[in-house]
Amino acid sequence: MFSYYLELALRSLRRSPGLTALMILTIGFGVAASMTTWSVFRAVSGDPIPWKSSKLFVPQIDMWGPAGKGGNPADPHYGDPPNALDYADAVALMRDHRATLQSALYMISPSVVPQQAGKHPINAGGHAVYSEFFPMVDAPFKYGSGWSAADDARRAEIVVISDKLNNKVFGGGNSVSKTLDIEGRDYRVVGVLGDWHPEPMFYDVSNTGGFYMSGEDVLLPFNTAIAAGMPNEGSTNCNEDPKESGFVGLQHSSCIWISYMAQLDNATAVQHYRNYLDGFARQRYPQWAPNTRLRDLMSWLDYEHVVPSDTRVSLLVALGLLIVCLVNTAGLLLAKFLRRSGEIGVRRALGAPRAAIYAQFLTEAGMIGLAGGVLGLLLTGVGVASVGLVMPKDIASLARLDISLLLTTLTVAVIASLLAALYPTFRASRVQPAWQLKSN
Amino acid sequence: MTLHPILAALRRHKAGVVLIALQIALTLAIVCNAIFIIGSRVQRIQRPTGMDEKNLFMVTQLWVGAPTGDDKASIDKLDAMLRTDVQTLRSLPDVESAIAINSLPLTNSTWSGGIGLKPAQEHATAHAAHYFADEQTIHTLGLRLIAGRDFNAGDVHHMGVRGQNVPPIVIVTKALADKLFPGGNAVGKTIYIDRNTPSTIVGVVARMQVPSVDSWANDFTWNSVLIPTRLDGNFSRYAVRARPGRMDAAMKEARAALFAANPMRVIGDDADSSGVKSFADIRARAYRADLGMAILMGVICLILLAVTGAGIVGLTSFWVGQRHKQIGVRRALGARKIDILRYFQTENLLIAGGGAMLGVVLALGLNLLLMRHFAMARLPIGYVLAGVAAVLALGQGAVFLPARRASNVPPVVATRSV
Amino acid sequence: MLKMNHLSKVYRTEVVETYALRDFNIDVKEGEFVAVTGPSGSGKTTFLTIAGLLETFSGGEYYLDGIEVSNLNDNARSKIRNEKIGFIFQAFNLIPDLNVYDNIEVPLRYRGMKTAERKQRIMDALERVGLSSRARHYPAELSGGQQQRVAIARALAGSPRLLLADEPTGNLDTQMARGVLELIEDIHRGGATIVMVTHDPELAARAQRNVHIIDGQVVDLAEEPRFHAHAAEAAHEYR
Repeated sequence: MFSYYLELALRSLRRSPGLTALMILTIGFGVAASMTTWSVFRAVSGDPIPWKSSKLFVPQIDMWGPAGKGGNPADPHYGDPPNALDYADAVALMRDHRATLQSALYMISPSVVPQQAGKHPINAGGHAVYSEFFPMVDAPFKYGSGWSAADDARRAEIVVISDKLNNKVFGGGNSVSKTLDIEGRDYRVVGVLGDWHPEPMFYDVSNTGGFYMSGEDVLLPFNTAIAAGMPNEGSTNCNEDPKESGFVGLQHSSCIWISYMAQLDNATAVQHYRNYLDGFARQRYPQWAPNTRLRDLMSWLDYEHVVPSDTRVSLLVALGLLIVCLVNTAGLLLAKFLRRSGEIGVRRALGAPRAAIYAQFLTEAGMIGLAGGVLGLLLTGVGVASVGLVMPKDIASLARLDISLLLTTLTVAVIASLLAALYPTFRASRVQPAWQLKSN
Repeated sequence: MTLHPILAALRRHKAGVVLIALQIALTLAIVCNAIFIIGSRVQRIQRPTGMDEKNLFMVTQLWVGAPTGDDKASIDKLDAMLRTDVQTLRSLPDVESAIAINSLPLTNSTWSGGIGLKPAQEHATAHAAHYFADEQTIHTLGLRLIAGRDFNAGDVHHMGVRGQNVPPIVIVTKALADKLFPGGNAVGKTIYIDRNTPSTIVGVVARMQVPSVDSWANDFTWNSVLIPTRLDGNFSRYAVRARPGRMDAAMKEARAALFAANPMRVIGDDADSSGVKSFADIRARAYRADLGMAILMGVICLILLAVTGAGIVGLTSFWVGQRHKQIGVRRALGARKIDILRYFQTENLLIAGGGAMLGVVLALGLNLLLMRHFAMARLPIGYVLAGVAAVLALGQGAVFLPARRASNVPPVVATRSV
Repeated sequence: MLKMNHLSKVYRTEVVETYALRDFNIDVKEGEFVAVTGPSGSGKTTFLTIAGLLETFSGGEYYLDGIEVSNLNDNARSKIRNEKIGFIFQAFNLIPDLNVYDNIEVPLRYRGMKTAERKQRIMDALERVGLSSRARHYPAELSGGQQQRVAIARALAGSPRLLLADEPTGNLDTQMARGVLELIEDIHRGGATIVMVTHDPELAARAQRNVHIIDGQVVDLAEEPRFHAHAAEAAHEYR
């Protein structure tokens, strides 16, 4: 029976090519606009590490007290602790080591001097982290591995580099044990990362805003970087100016510049850690009531507004466009279906049950949806390719066409058409079995 | 012509009428807000920084193995390196002038802090961006000094990046001066930049934007203070004014000359993070998201209007086809072509008018939603009225073709049976 | 085959109730050929639409082939229309977008018939109405008489037990009308029950029995000319 409906649908669509084209274009454009903005939204609002994001937590501690309270009292998060840690707290948390895995980290931007003569030094982006960082974020290694807690303790001059930097400096291959000149010191390569670009960049949101175009070129042991006086890149936020100058002065100040992440495997561990944080704050800042937060990763990304509001507005407006396209298609389908009320009446008289009329017209709408979806796919392809022209590069580079987007586009197109066809089909099915083909 | 027959006909096509009116309403709501977004973004993009942006470029560089800057000796060493670089740039044939500066408008690298009128003031009177300047900054950037005096060479000190050496004099922007001293005449007044040390305002510049264009800086976009200090760190920025028409040459010379003076440095050379950037490039990058948003909204508006226009054409064509016979009868009974044309135009005006009324409500509702969740400004009523005019015009434009086809139905159709 | 007891049909508007049929009684036996006559607006067509399950009625009973149909749902009614009833309309009611073959195929499709059987039936029906060569033509390419023969073929192909015809020759000239009537009589000889609404006395005379409707009620047959009653009875006995 379905083949009969298909045949009827094709026949009907062919009969009014203008109207059919109009509906297909409408669906196509509507779906493409929303899918293009969706591709961007999906990229920036996605879970960067879905298999363990619920186990990763970001602690916040109020090290400034009431004097450091800023912002608007109407803000729901007014009075929250700052979004990063100062050096003393970060190091103390590391020393207590209460989570399964944890790492303090800060952004660095050292220069790397290639071995070959005549090549200018290059600027490398990266982070200073603790050994547990690698297993905690499941960083993939192409060669070698991270380092040990012992390396952390003895401030080993070792480095994990990206595949990109490996190609640039060493020409690729297994470079473990090779030596890399960073800021004039020699570091031994212990690992080369595989292809790793978590999006959004989740472990240092306060410095990257969630988007880190350059990616990690070098990852150094935290203590080693501090000992080498490798200053922090990115933001430094001070409630009071440091009393001493220089990077050492920064370490002795209450300025915040360090991110922190901890892995807690179950609810009990989370509860224990919360209690621990409160105790920690009470002990370190007895002048005011402990003010701490422990947000899981997705809440943290949301709290830090990783999804730019422009992206949300675009998605909202594009969805509005899709709705208009739906209403438009519904109007056209209504006209098209009711124009055939004579035919419907005859079919009903000849014994077509209501379900058959539903099937016939929904099949027709589904075909429009499918055709609109295919057109939508092409337009989405064009759209995704051109987001780079209209959106900030760091965000646009995340939007891409993949199988799931393809399937979503087709599904959305078909479902949208079926939705649009629902009322017109209902009206068509209500046409009474006819005694006369109306001739108006 | 009376409205009665039109209303009667519309009642017979209730669902179709409702759908097209709803579509017009939604279109109006979205287009109004989208155009408003475009308008405000374009306004943002076009605002001047206060500098003479032509022939201006910026160099960002990082020294390799530079002194730490933690002690006086190493700070002095860094300062010497900085001055050498500035001299190198100033001596280039295609360079008119050059300065070292911590940041420039639109570069997003913001140094900012509160400014008070009394020592140890609890809450700052104003928030402002800090530019570390020298006696040639106003000239090189093309700022306009409107009161007081410029710095002279003797005013300029130097300190490490994380130092706390607040100089006794500063220059502020007019916006900041007005905010701090609403009574006017800020020159000669004392302000506190670090809560403890007094600084005297010696000059006022007309306008200088802060580095950040992000929303967090919206409250103090024009509040800048020029501090006569060279900042010595492991990286530095230079603002360079090329001789007219010699921009490209100057940019090439600058890179080569700096490397020649000291090869142990990084000056980025990939397209995205180039260490030598024209200010036009900086401006384009800073407002890229705004431009993108404006373009995206524009594209969506175009699609919307096209879809709605096409929908009106489609539905009206259908109605014309359906009423073919009826139109013939009217013609036979003496209606002129223009009467038929008017009939469909009036019909569309009624539908679009109804849709527009609902659309105004939806537009304001959508604006409220955007205001609440996305920090959007209130939609000026002018945009709504323009939107109403636009959808009414769109309706009339779209209905014209099918209506004209209707008016061409010959009266003889009335006599045909089927 | 078709029996209505005290059947009524009311059309309600905001202001008035109009009885299209009132205390309507009729009994058509299996294999009968009944002509329904009456002036315009008497309720002939309403009767036929109810008989054909195209409309519901307001009160009374209606037995079709022994089944009381007033409680059947839409699906069951569709199934009966499809399998037991054939329609011939005054305006032919061919679907203009379908060619002759596809038009005839419509009821067979809804019966879920296999392609081969459909084809067999369609070709047989077309042969009976003498239009085998026109299978691929569209309705607009045929004369009125040919269109009506296609409509008859469409009814024939489903081998209906009951054929309902509404002024089947109303839009045709005499020559064509005769051909159509012969076809209907042919179907009757094949065993189908036929109910034909007409206001043409000549046509009505060809039926076995005449039923006259005035103001929504069947007028006593006794008042009809005896000739018709006799003819009807004779035909009945003959069978």
